[in-house]
Parts: sequence; structure tokens; C-alpha cells
Amino acid sequence: MSAADGTTGSGIGASLLRREDARHLDGRGEFVPDIRMPGTREIAFLRSPHAHARIRSIAAPPGSKGRVFTAADLPRIKPIRVVTQAAGAKSPPWPPLATDKVRYVGEAIAVCVAPTRGEAEDLANSIEVDYEVLEAAVDAPLVWRGSRHLIHESWGDNLYLERTIEGGDIEAAARAAEVTVTREYRMNRQSGAPLEGRAVLAYRDHRLDEVVVYASTQTPHTVRVALGEILDIEQRRIRVVAPDVGGGFGPKARLYPEEIILAALALELDHPVRWVEDRTEHLLTCAHTRDHHYKVTAYADRQGKVLGVDCEIIVDAGAYGLWPQGPYQEANMAGRTLPGPYTIPNYRARTYTVATNKTPLGPYRGVGRPGACFAIERTIDEVARAVGRDPVEVRIENMIPAGAMPYTSIAGMRYDTGDYPASVRLCAELLDMPAIRARQKQGEADGRLVGIGFASFTEQTAHGAAEFASRGASIIPGFESCTARILPDGSLVLMVGIQSHGQGLETTLSQIACHELGIDPSHISVRHGDTESTAFGFGTFASRSMVMSGGAVARASRMLRDKLCRIGAHLLQCDPAEARCEGGAVHGPQGSVTIAEIAKVAHLRMDGLPPGVDPLLDMTATYEPQISTGVFSYATHGAIVMVDPETGFIELIDFAVAEDCGTMVNPMIVEGQIRGGVVQGIGTALYEEIPYDAQGQPLAVTFADYLMPGAAELPAIKIGHMHTPASATEYGMKGMGEGGAVAPPAAIANAVRDALAAIGAEINETPLTPARVLAAIKKVQQAAKA
Amino acid sequence: MTAIRFRLNDIDHAEDVAPRLSLADLLRERHNLTATHLGCEHGVCGACTVLVDGMPARACLMLAAACDDRQIHSLEGLRDDPIIAALRDSFHRRHAVQCGFCTPGMLISARDLIQRGRAGSEAEIRAGLSGNLCRCTGYTNIVSAIAEAAQSVGAQGKTS
Repeated sequence: MSAADGTTGSGIGASLLRREDARHLDGRGEFVPDIRMPGTREIAFLRSPHAHARIRSIAAPPGSKGRVFTAADLPRIKPIRVVTQAAGAKSPPWPPLATDKVRYVGEAIAVCVAPTRGEAEDLANSIEVDYEVLEAAVDAPLVWRGSRHLIHESWGDNLYLERTIEGGDIEAAARAAEVTVTREYRMNRQSGAPLEGRAVLAYRDHRLDEVVVYASTQTPHTVRVALGEILDIEQRRIRVVAPDVGGGFGPKARLYPEEIILAALALELDHPVRWVEDRTEHLLTCAHTRDHHYKVTAYADRQGKVLGVDCEIIVDAGAYGLWPQGPYQEANMAGRTLPGPYTIPNYRARTYTVATNKTPLGPYRGVGRPGACFAIERTIDEVARAVGRDPVEVRIENMIPAGAMPYTSIAGMRYDTGDYPASVRLCAELLDMPAIRARQKQGEADGRLVGIGFASFTEQTAHGAAEFASRGASIIPGFESCTARILPDGSLVLMVGIQSHGQGLETTLSQIACHELGIDPSHISVRHGDTESTAFGFGTFASRSMVMSGGAVARASRMLRDKLCRIGAHLLQCDPAEARCEGGAVHGPQGSVTIAEIAKVAHLRMDGLPPGVDPLLDMTATYEPQISTGVFSYATHGAIVMVDPETGFIELIDFAVAEDCGTMVNPMIVEGQIRGGVVQGIGTALYEEIPYDAQGQPLAVTFADYLMPGAAELPAIKIGHMHTPASATEYGMKGMGEGGAVAPPAAIANAVRDALAAIGAEINETPLTPARVLAAIKKVQQAAKA
Repeated sequence: MTAIRFRLNDIDHAEDVAPRLSLADLLRERHNLTATHLGCEHGVCGACTVLVDGMPARACLMLAAACDDRQIHSLEGLRDDPIIAALRDSFHRRHAVQCGFCTPGMLISARDLIQRGRAGSEAEIRAGLSGNLCRCTGYTNIVSAIAEAAQSVGAQGKTS
């Protein structure tokens, strides 16, 4: 196997080309809808057209028994229920098929089975439902208390959880302030929108006495846990497989009603069933994301030194909580990361997680951080402008200096290593900031306005037991697992509990085993995403798989190495302490024996084993980082924009990232993750939005009205690396999968603010559409006239 | 049902198709040609791009019944195509693949750009890819991989 940078190594630090590529480039990837099972019937759902309604009756057409199923027809299915220990948190039961009430447009009511999807949809369209339509609770800041429209009647309000995070003395900061800046921000509702939607194929394997569920999921093992609990069958009788998954980004790291319903149907029916989500179903029913409202007040001195930040954060979480973590993590993450990379001494965040008649909110690349970054980074810029200084200088002066690491933020986050101010300087260099300032003085011939903006953030990654326990989570993804098995010919199989869906973990995990064992990745297979072949693991989310699964691979590989050395030393007739494993062989003082020769002894010729050593080369290890509150990557993003004040159109002409994720296992893949994340962040900043009308109807349910960034809208993205290894992980790795998506909205909004500085307009809501830009300019102009 | 005759990946077929059967479902469900991916089923994302009479087309929007007397190529039928071979190589070396779902449609659109001489600059390639969405890569590496393949195909064309 060869490397992108021309190096020949295959271990840690090599830009090894991906082993996943060949099948995809040949059109031989295997996604759920590509799997063929004889006799498969197709599934379509009848979904609620109303945001909020009581169901008076459901009438299936005559003769449809056995082809149309409602909740009453599938009594095996219990409601989804998120268990939380968070004080005061409410957790509603969620029937996978609606019973008495529907609470968002798209909620499943009945499931239809037919030979083709078209016929199944015909069947769904022939079901008559008598609804009593109720008024919808749509606007979270208005409906969380005192609303007449209760989504879950027994609550008395529409609040999942209210929580205050504070440190220092915010009142004292207010009294000491020479400058006070207050702003409201909004990051609107959007979709994760992986290019492959969700999909489920379920059938009974009678020989193995199990139900097999193929699902496009990031978390096969925990989906099995949930299916066992909800369908009340032993987990030994459930196999969940996530084959090739066409992007996940968070939304596929949750349990969904469709997975439960298909598994239940497979148990009822005598044939496989398949549901392939179409794009409208995806935009209606797969987890939505963001939908944060902020009110932020910063207290500062005349130099722009921030003395305190007081904020209110409202998260519109939709109608139900997705299993396993519920609706609580967005507000929690936003409140705890809002102080960002700064030495803010006094802080208060009052957070409210609100139920509305909208699609449930779930995780998406960045989880809570993009909104928090938008709020604090816009605020830092406004503080700088209020004191008449450059935002870059004010940003750096407020940052935690490298010498203060490790540093516990005012919101209780323990930042481990890094030099945050250096990332700002590097990013400003990458964009040649003095050249932009000179260009601004000259002006543009076409009347457009140039602006440059920056945003910095820290990215909690690979967090484990301590972090999730502090949230009151009932399921704590604190470790990952690996079984490393050398076969009789010396080839190696790594079986891991995570799931790789674009991150290239089949490549990078083999690099780690290569580093430990000297076995070339071309002789290593990586198996993932299948409960049958791998030990329990939590899956791929929270920027955790490289650190946690990589750590488990390192440990299992070292256990194998020790055993190889013991057997090898016996074969070489030397002391095990003198033996070392390197380059695919065990070397003693006077000779060497290959791993293949040792593997043969361990399996086929046990007469060659040393006394007291068992046959097989098969080790299972778990791993959690030494610090389970997470290791923190960080970055500064910078954007240069051209804004047309006549049309409101924003052109992004340059974008740079200066980042530090510790030790990079595969720099080529790291850069791919950064660029992919940045473009998703640009989507949040400029294009992506699912608005709702006053009746709770979503207004973007196709790719024609839900806009995603395409190649033509984007500049190439520059990257500068810094390297501060983590002290608490194998090799100094940190997670980095999400960071790219965190800062672009803030950096771009700051750049637009810079471009419009002379006009005095600012846009504090994403996406920054031409209409919003024009409205902001008009608002300033009208205020000037008045 | 409508009777159609068509040539698929260089083999002739005669079939009866339902009026609402899409070309994508004809390929995927009847012929098990699963390189053609469905990302939106309304003609925006480009994952289902195939060649119809040599021109890129959305297999999700085209009805099978409209394929009478036409030549269709999916990625499976282009495995020996020299431009596709150059693209596979450059996509691999430049890390232009992540989850792989958009990849077959990207390859077919990229092949068309190169064949029509519309892959001469970064701006031209970016504009030419406006009908193909990728959610993973951020496009940078896809664009550079297409530029590289265009150069290598052009160089080969000159030497042969």
C-alpha cells in the first residue's frame, strides 16, 4: 500500500492511501439498499400530515389485514423511553407508531407492506385517519412556559430541562464593567443530511434463531441493546449489521422508530422487510439539529478584556427525546463550551431545553458547539468593536495562554494541552490579513465589500465515563473494544466495536496495529459494524473512534506482541526478555522467526509451544483514555467574504483553518475530515435551514428547497497544522472529526460584519441568506433616517 | 406495462416495465446494478447519474419506459473505460472518497467533463460539478483529482 505524501511507511504518521477506496471506486460498495434477500417486501409508512393532532380513529382499507399495521397490531413494541438521572429532567414515552396523538409532521402512524415501494405507498395513501387537529407549539422561546398548547399534557409546560451553569460572580463583573455588549443570536434548524438516508432490512434467520437487522447506523451494538429492551427479546437473538453507511455525521447515532418497527415486523412475517428512507422522509423525520437561541451579555474593561459573560440559551428540541441520550445534550454542551478558549472569570448560562411540535433534535457534527461558538465569537468581535480595537488582538488577549495548561474553564471543562493564541496568529498568516486590510482601503471596482473574520474554539473529544456521568446519562460510552486475532497463516484480523462510515478507520486502525506488530496493513483486515463479529462497543460519534478504538487496537496488539515474543523466544531458544517483535517477525540474539511461523505453531503445531502457553493468538482488549473528561483539539478558522450590499449576496473567497489535534495517525485523512467538516459548517452559515410555519409545517422537505453547499460555491480550504500531543491518550492522539463544522458560521458572520463595518450592519442569525443581509442593512439605514 | 428494448452496459435487453418504474429502479432492482445510488430521488444530488446514449442523465428522474431504443451505461459498464480508470486512480491517490455514496455519480459526471474538454481549470471543474453533491469531502480533493485525471488523459491522448 502506498502513501499520498510519497513516504513508504505504513504506521502512525503515514498518509497511507485508504483501503476502503477500491470498492467504492469500482461501484461495489455495499449499502443497506444494495443487499438482496430473496422474498423481500418493501415498507412504506403512513406519516402524520399535522404537527399536533389527536387520532380519533385509523381505518385501513378492507382486505389489508397482514399488510397494514398500526400500534394496535404490533403489541410487542413498547414505547421508546430515555432514562436520565439529570435532576428535574422530563422524558416522555415515544410510541414508535403513534397511538392517541401525533406531535410532529412526519410522525409514523401505520406501516404498510407490499412487493414494491410504490405499492406500499399506495396502501399508505388508502388508510383513513380521523384527526382532531390541535394548535401547534412552534416557537420555543414563546412556548416553553405559560403556553396553552402542551405537547405532553401531564407536564404542565413544554420544558424538558432547565439548568444553570455558573462560576465566579457575574453580578460583580456587571458592576466592574466599563463596557457592556448585549446581543441575541439564532442558529436555525437544519438537517445532517448524509447523502445516503437511513435504511433498514430485517429478517429472521431460523437456523440461528435470531432476527437480523441491517441498518444504516453509526451504533449497531447499542441499537441491539435497545431492540432487546423494547421488543423484549434476548440480545443473543438479535444481530445488527451496519454495512457501508453513506455518511452519518451524528443523526445516525441514535435509535429510530423504523428500526424497531422493521425488527418487529420481521418477527411477525414470514419474509424479509426493507425500508429505504427517501429524502423527504429524511428531512421530515431523521434527527434535526441546531435550533439554538442565545441572549448574551458580555462585561468588559476599556481594553476589551472580558470580565464576565451572562447568557440565556434556549434549545428547541422538538417533540420527543431520541434514545439513548435524550434531548438534553445540546443545551448542556452549548452552556459548557460557550466560554470557549478564553479566561472568562465570571460566567452564568441559564439553559432551557424546550419541547415543540417539531421533529426531534439529535446530534450533528459539532453537537452544541457551533451555536455556542457563534454566540461567543460574534460577541468577542463586538466587544472589540465597542472598545475600538482589532478583533484579532482582543481575541488573543482574552485567550488562555499556553503556559496556563492544563486549564479548567469557568464552565468546568478541563482543557488539557495546546497553544490557543498561536492558532489565531497562524490563521491570520494563512489568509494574509495585512493584504486584505490594504484591499479594504482601496475598495472594489464592482461596489462589493470585502471582509475578514475569525473564530476560535476548543473541541472536547473522546470523552468518556466522567463526562457522561456528569450529564446524568444512563448509558455511558466510556470505552471501546478490539479483538485482535492472528490466523494460522500470520495474517491479522482486527474486530472493533465502532463503525466506520467515511472516516477511513479500516485504514487508520490497521496503521496502529502495523505500528505495534510490524504487520503491513495489506495483511490486516478490519471488521466493524457487526454485533456478530465484534465485541461490544458504542460506535462512532463524539470524535471518539480514533482515540478510543485506536487505543483498544494498540492494547490488543501489544497483548498479541507479548505472546508472539514468548512463543518466538521458545522457538529461538532465547529468553523472552531478549526477544523483540519488529517487521513481521520476532528477533532474538541469534536469529528470527516470522509471525507466520509462530502463528502456525500457535494453531497447527502446538507441540512447539512453550510450557504453560495456551494455543491461539487471539486477544480482546478494552480502552478508555486516562482522562475521561475528554482531550481537547482546538482551531481558529478564518474567512474572507465579498458582500454585495445591493443584492445581499455573500461570496466566500477564501477560508483557512489553523488546527491542532495532537498526534495525527494519517494526516491525509485528518485534512479530509477538516475540509468536509468546514463545508458542512459553511452550509450552516450560508445555506441550510428548515423553517416552520405557524402551523408547524416544515417548509424545506426536498433538496430543491433545502440547499446544501456544492463545489461551485466554495473556495479551496487552506489548512495549517500545529502539534501538541495529548498526555492522556495512546500516542498523544486527540479526536478531530467534528471541529471543522464548529467555527465556519462564526468566522463567516464575523467576516460579513467586517465587510459591513462602514454601514454598521451585522447579521446574527444563520444561515446568512441574501434576504437577511439586506434586512440588516435596511434596518441600519432606517434607524439612521429616524 | 410497456414493452421496451434497450442496450444496458453493452448487452441488449427486451422487458416489460410498469409506467412508474424509474430507470434507477430498473437498474438496481431488476438488474442488481447497485453502483447507481439514490440520494434524493428528485434530481438534485446526482448520485444516480448514468449515461443515456452517452450523455449524463439522472436515473431517478428518467422513467424506464422512456428508455426504449436507448443505450444505457452505469458505472458497472464503464469499468474498462480509460477515463474512468484514470479517475479511479486519481480519486484514490488524492483522497477524494470518504463514505463512497456520491462516488459513482461523481465519476460519471467527471468523465463527461473530461471527455467534453470542460475540466481545464479549477473554476471550470467546480462549475461542472454543480449537479453532484458530496456531503463528506468538501470537494477540494474531488476537484484536484479530476484536474489530475484530465491532465493524464490529455497527455496519453497526445502520445498515442
